[in-house]
This record gives sequence, structure tokens and C-alpha cells, in this order.
Amino acid sequence: MNKRILTVFILAALPTFAAVDSQWLLQESTLTYHVSHPLHQSEGVSHAAKGKGVCHAGQCEFLIAVPVKSFDSGDSNRDLHMIQVTRGAEFPLVTVRTRLPESDATASAINADLEIQFAGQTSQYKQVAFKLDKQGNQIHLTGTIPATLVDFKIDPPSLLTMPVKNDIPIRVDMTWRQQ
Amino acid sequence: MLRSWSSNSIAAYLRILAVCLLVQATLPLIAQTAAGVVQGTVSDESGKAVANATITATSIDSGQKHTANTGPDGTYKLDLPPGNYRLTFEAAGFKTFEISSATVGGTEPEVFDGKLERSEPADGTRAGTQEENLPNAPSSSTTAPSLSDLGLSPEQTQGNPREQALLDKRTHMLKIHQRMGLITTIPLVATVILGPGAGGKSEGTAIRDLHVALGSLTGDLYGITAYYAIRAPRIPGTKKRGPIKFHEAMAWIHGPGMILTPILGAMAFSQKNNGEKVHGIAQAHGPVAIVTAGAFGAALLSVSVKF
Repeated sequence: MNKRILTVFILAALPTFAAVDSQWLLQESTLTYHVSHPLHQSEGVSHAAKGKGVCHAGQCEFLIAVPVKSFDSGDSNRDLHMIQVTRGAEFPLVTVRTRLPESDATASAINADLEIQFAGQTSQYKQVAFKLDKQGNQIHLTGTIPATLVDFKIDPPSLLTMPVKNDIPIRVDMTWRQQ
Repeated sequence: MLRSWSSNSIAAYLRILAVCLLVQATLPLIAQTAAGVVQGTVSDESGKAVANATITATSIDSGQKHTANTGPDGTYKLDLPPGNYRLTFEAAGFKTFEISSATVGGTEPEVFDGKLERSEPADGTRAGTQEENLPNAPSSSTTAPSLSDLGLSPEQTQGNPREQALLDKRTHMLKIHQRMGLITTIPLVATVILGPGAGGKSEGTAIRDLHVALGSLTGDLYGITAYYAIRAPRIPGTKKRGPIKFHEAMAWIHGPGMILTPILGAMAFSQKNNGEKVHGIAQAHGPVAIVTAGAFGAALLSVSVKF
């Protein structure tokens, strides 16, 4: 009788064990956007990203979220303008989703397809290159996302009637830890 | 020709010019009274009308919202004050469709149609646009992490349209502030250049009159410029950092200077017209004007050029 109950419990619990094989948590991050203006080269930095990866059946799903307000360019006036043009009060998060093979964790370089939600819009970036450096159960990942203002229907902010360039590359520097 | 113009008539002419510039710069702010009409049809991917969809028009300037629902034929109509609006089309079972900027202004109805895409079975976190079949694109599997897994606070995840409206208004006013500041620079520089001629030993009054007129124009434009900076909404919880602190500190120099300079100038002007040599406190008119112009230029450069 006891064996039968135990078997039922094990069978009932199997889907739960099978659902998630491993998880990754974002430990540290530095995200830096770069804006070019004829009179200025500006960068805004955020260390406030949160992220999680869930692996199952050889595939890992990752979600990273960064509050728009957390980007600091060293100039509060510019930061407020950036929040305004990116509609950061209305859409307070930038989210990045990607799916990667679990085997990529051992590679030194990967190409990821990213789905980014920002400023109320969603854009997809194909085959974005990242470098990986694995040490123990941690992976250090670096790369640059070739984002543009047009991708997210953002009107280019201007200074002295001169608009900034369309390209706003985002440098990514992250450390993930496997659970 | 110039001699036949009195300083008052030149000043009056330039003041009219200043008013014209002001009207041009502020027209978007004040043209909010007459009514306009926005209408259109909401349909799905197959072109079939979507009934009972909600259309929300949010004023980009004020944040004010107006809503309407589509009828059985998928049509809607909204009466709106002229201005720029963000239109959002929502219906149960469909992804939200948005037109980020819709201008309402003329007497003719503006037509904005909404094309809604059917939403996927949602996990509560994904808004969508067109998906592509990418080799390792994000999937919608049940194991995918959601925002609630990341431990973000509600303040970090929920939008605040009121704050966005405040930011929009702030940016709008500061853009006018910036434009007016640039325009003010032109008569300011001209006034300073004419300064030595106006206060020289020459008996002629033409340059002096022009100096006075340009100075008056500068003062008027400066007042307008300052108004848009002072009246721009403050965003709660914002700590000032960077060049804006220097920019604002300079205002404590050029602000009082812009008041003091014309007072001292009027005294000097009166003394000159009486055939006297400029004397007493009026002698400070030139130095005060130079310091004021310098502070104004430094304020302008501090937010324009990275040092």
C-alpha cells in the first residue's frame, strides 16, 4: 500500500522535476547606452538590471528587466529628457528576452536573438554577438546591442535644434550565476 | 534714416518683433480651444470590423484622456481639442495597437484606423508586435521567467501616465526656453557690441538709440526665456546633477544683471542726453552688462558643449 502511494507521489511530482532543469540568476550588470550628438557624446549607465534564466530540455529562457529611470548619465536634466522621449514614466521597464541552448554555457562566444520591449514597442535583434567567460558556476557575458531610436519609435532628442544620431548602441556587461 | 528713428520707435518695433517670436514659439501651448474630430474604423487582421473596441486619445501636452468605443460596424468618433495625441486601440482578445502621435487641428475630421492583431495565450507579461521565426527567438513556453520572478517592486513595473504627462510638459516648455535663449543671444550680442559706441564721445545719438532698442528687445526676450524655465514643472524625487547645476547657478548672476543693467543704462542714457559725462553708479552699466552677458553665455555653453 505504502509503495503504491509512494509511486503515485513520484509520478505526480515528475512533471515538476522535469519542468525546470536549472536556473541562472543575474548577479551583476552594467548596461551602458551611448548617444551621439554633434556637440556631445553621452553615456548613461545602469547597474539595476534584474534577470533570470530557466533551463528545460536543453533550452534556456532568459528574461532581463531594467528600470528606464535607473540609467544615469551624470546629468539629471539629460536623464529626465531621456525618460521623457523614451516614455519611461509610462513604460518604466526595458525587458530583454532570449532563448539559448543550454550547451551555449560552455561556449566562448554566442549569437543570441533578442526580443526587446522598450518605450511601449517591441523590437527583435537577430544574432547579436556576445563573448562568454565561464568561471565555475558563473558566466561573464559582454556584448553590444545595436539598438536604434527608430526601432522603438522614439523621436530623437535634440539640443540647440540639432537631433542626436539614430544609433544608441547598448553595451552589456553581465555576470550570471547558475543555481 | 536711422537718425530719424527715436529710440522709443525702434524699441517699439523690436518689441513687436519679440511678440511675434513669442507667439510663434508658444502657439502650440495656447492653441487648445477649438474642437477637432478624430474618426476611423477598427478591424482585425482579416479586415473584419471589431466592435466594442476602446480608443483612448491621450494628449501629449496635458496628459488629458478622451475615450470612445467602436460600434457594431467597428467605427468610432472622438471630439477633441486640437493638439497632439497618442491613440491607443484596445479590445478583448487582441493586442493593443497604438499610434504614437496623431495631430488634431483642422476643420476636417482626421481619420485614424486601427488594425488589431489577435493576442496569443498570454503569460501576463508580454505585449506583442509582429513575431518572426528566429532560430533561437524567445518562446512563449510555460517555463519562461516572468517579471514577477525578478522581484521588481510595483513602482518599478507600473507605468505612471500622469508623470509622463508632466515630463512631456516639462520638455515642451524647456524646448521653448532653449529656443528663446538662442534667439535672445542675437540682440544681446548686438547690444554689447554697440555698447562702446553708445557711450562714446560722439554727439550722434543713432547708435545710442539702437543700443537702447536692442537692449530693450534683449530684456523682453530674456523675460520670456526665463518664464519658460521657471514655469516648467519640477519632477518630484529628482536630484539635480551635472551641468544643469552650473546652468542654474549662472541664472543667479545674469538674472539680477538683466534687471540692473537697464536701470543703470537708463541713468547713463539720461546723463548722456543731458550732455553730461556718465557718472556715479551709472558708470557700472557697462561692467554689469558685460558680467551679465558673460554669465548668460556661460549658462548657454554649460548645457551645450561638453567641457
